[in-house]
Amino acid sequence: MIDSLYIAWKYISFNKIKTLTLVACITLISFLPIALQLLLAESERQLMSRAVSTPLVIGAKGSSLDLVMNTLYFGQEVPELISMASAKSVENMDLAIPIPLYTRFRARGNPIVGTTLDYFEFRRLKIAEGRQIAMLGDCVLGAKVSEKLGLKTGDSLVSSPESLFDLAGIYPLKMKIVGVLETSHTTDDLAVFVDLKTAWVIQGLGHGHQDVTRLKDPTLVYKRTESNVAATAKLYHYTEISEDNLASFHFHGDIGQYPITAVIAVPYDEKSGTILRGRYLAKEETRQIVKPGDVIDGLLQNIFRIKNVLDAVISIVALATILAIILVFALSLRLRQQEIKTIFKLGCSRMTIAWLLAAEIFIIVLISGLLCGAMIFTVDQYANDIVRMLFIR
Amino acid sequence: MSFKRFSMRNNRQFYFYILCAICAFVSIAASSWATDSSTGKLSVYVVNYPLKYFAERIGGEHVKVVFPAPANVDPAYWLPEIKTISAYQQADLILLNGAGYAKWIYQVSLPQSKLVNTSVKFEEQYIRVKGAVSHSHGPGGQHAHEGVAFTTWIDFNLAAGQAKAIAVAFGRRRPQLKNTFEKNFADLKKDLLALDQSIKAIVSKNQNQPLIASHPVYDYFARRYGLNINSVHWEPDEIPSREQWMELQNILKHHPAQWMIWEGTPLKEPVERLKSLGINSLVYDPCGNMPQENDFLNVMHQNIENLQQAFP
Repeated sequence: MIDSLYIAWKYISFNKIKTLTLVACITLISFLPIALQLLLAESERQLMSRAVSTPLVIGAKGSSLDLVMNTLYFGQEVPELISMASAKSVENMDLAIPIPLYTRFRARGNPIVGTTLDYFEFRRLKIAEGRQIAMLGDCVLGAKVSEKLGLKTGDSLVSSPESLFDLAGIYPLKMKIVGVLETSHTTDDLAVFVDLKTAWVIQGLGHGHQDVTRLKDPTLVYKRTESNVAATAKLYHYTEISEDNLASFHFHGDIGQYPITAVIAVPYDEKSGTILRGRYLAKEETRQIVKPGDVIDGLLQNIFRIKNVLDAVISIVALATILAIILVFALSLRLRQQEIKTIFKLGCSRMTIAWLLAAEIFIIVLISGLLCGAMIFTVDQYANDIVRMLFIR
Repeated sequence: MSFKRFSMRNNRQFYFYILCAICAFVSIAASSWATDSSTGKLSVYVVNYPLKYFAERIGGEHVKVVFPAPANVDPAYWLPEIKTISAYQQADLILLNGAGYAKWIYQVSLPQSKLVNTSVKFEEQYIRVKGAVSHSHGPGGQHAHEGVAFTTWIDFNLAAGQAKAIAVAFGRRRPQLKNTFEKNFADLKKDLLALDQSIKAIVSKNQNQPLIASHPVYDYFARRYGLNINSVHWEPDEIPSREQWMELQNILKHHPAQWMIWEGTPLKEPVERLKSLGINSLVYDPCGNMPQENDFLNVMHQNIENLQQAFP
């Protein structure tokens, strides 16, 4: 047996290209469906677990998938904005706890999630280091953001401008990192969390500057009347919120009209949830209420439909490959007729020859199996990240 | 045989002890769970003293009310330290006055679900402060930092409304104590409306007489009781500047007041100078911060007593 394997190994080592081709074919054919299955199972787990744990999402009418993907996974596609009054109205209905979210801005490629402290309680996010956001301009980082950017409590992070060419736009805000969250193995690990008001400061809706009514420098005042002071563009807006200038930060107009991307509604009970959903059914209603579980389920149905097609394609390719491999072996046997005759003449029985050929096939399949196993192990280890990279981000 | 009997008795004892231990464990676990979940004291943080007083009267022994502002600050303009903000974040309920009181709440992060704006039910009755200078810069257009008068509780009818909001919020958090809270609220409301009636009776003697307020904090008071009040911006512990005296002289030309209402006991010097102008001084303490002695009700009774001097 060992001798057969030794001779088979020598033969395989000698015919490197043929062996490599066979190993690659068998490895890929066995790896593809298993890896696909693994990734789909992981994506289903990730998508569904977060979707199921989020009871209801309220947002502007339009693509419910964009709304859910932005609210749950902080996707880059920003849904149409709604006003803060939407969160207030849920509160006034007294059927659910509203958690407003404003997921529009980014900092070094990571989503900035403007929300209230209720979000952390709702998602059971704990502070691993530092403290919770407390003041305007504070931010806490998801575990992966902290790791990826090498930032920790006490450092600062600057918001990215929405457009590089918007030279007259809003100044980026230098946020103070006050804490890092514990790893949650969810999208929250990849986000930068700020208070909703800080997100509005990033947008320029809230700002801090010198008291314009007390300006002494004439170059800062464009026009002054008894009831109005118009400042010039030279008026300095603070780009960092500190204890010294915190008091000068203010918001204009009705905060109820300030923008948010969505409201997560956590109903008190099932009945409250049903009543709440009923309140958004009117045709003239400009907002929609969705059950993220249903939306993600629909998405997964589509993914699985695609998966079925892929499975069929892979099966056909696999069949073709197996036939090709059989053909390769058959042709190989024909080419090796002379060699087999020589072995026979040397005194080997037919059985020994069969053993030799079987050993060759066994070694090729074994190498393919090991390779495939290693690749599947790698995919399994990084499935979480791969899924986020492929499906979520 | 005797060994067997002994062993059986031991076994029974052993099972009995196990049963007792299980019962004890279950009862301790149940009582601690009950204390933690819904019958423990409600931790309530407030932004001014009147709310603390109302909350304590309504909640009684079932609430622990904390008002962390130091005694020497005006809670309306105070900014808590991070440590204090964290304590607010941990509370079961945070009672806000509303009407823009305590501007710091717009500069910090507090859990929305724990906030109770006690004046939201009557927000259409808020008084907008006129005369703010608007300003414009950048693409945002013209805007003004105009404010809303926030000393709502010195209109005792509105104060009763705020107290009701507190009772409702407590009832929601502790439904089993709803009746207790409602009864306590009814008692408090009776006291507040008695104060309301007393002031109405006092001011009705000469409702139109012009009065000067040392600080613009009496808007709701003036509206509720139909008083003719004009305000300057003086501090009781500061001597007014020349400009401030001139401002007063200008007001007196069209508003010949004989009484000035102060937030706190004023310095002797301005009182005497006012007297030389024919203006007497009286203290009507809005009681935004905790009084050194007495409670809200006592301070208000003292205010009413002081007010009587202006309406003989």
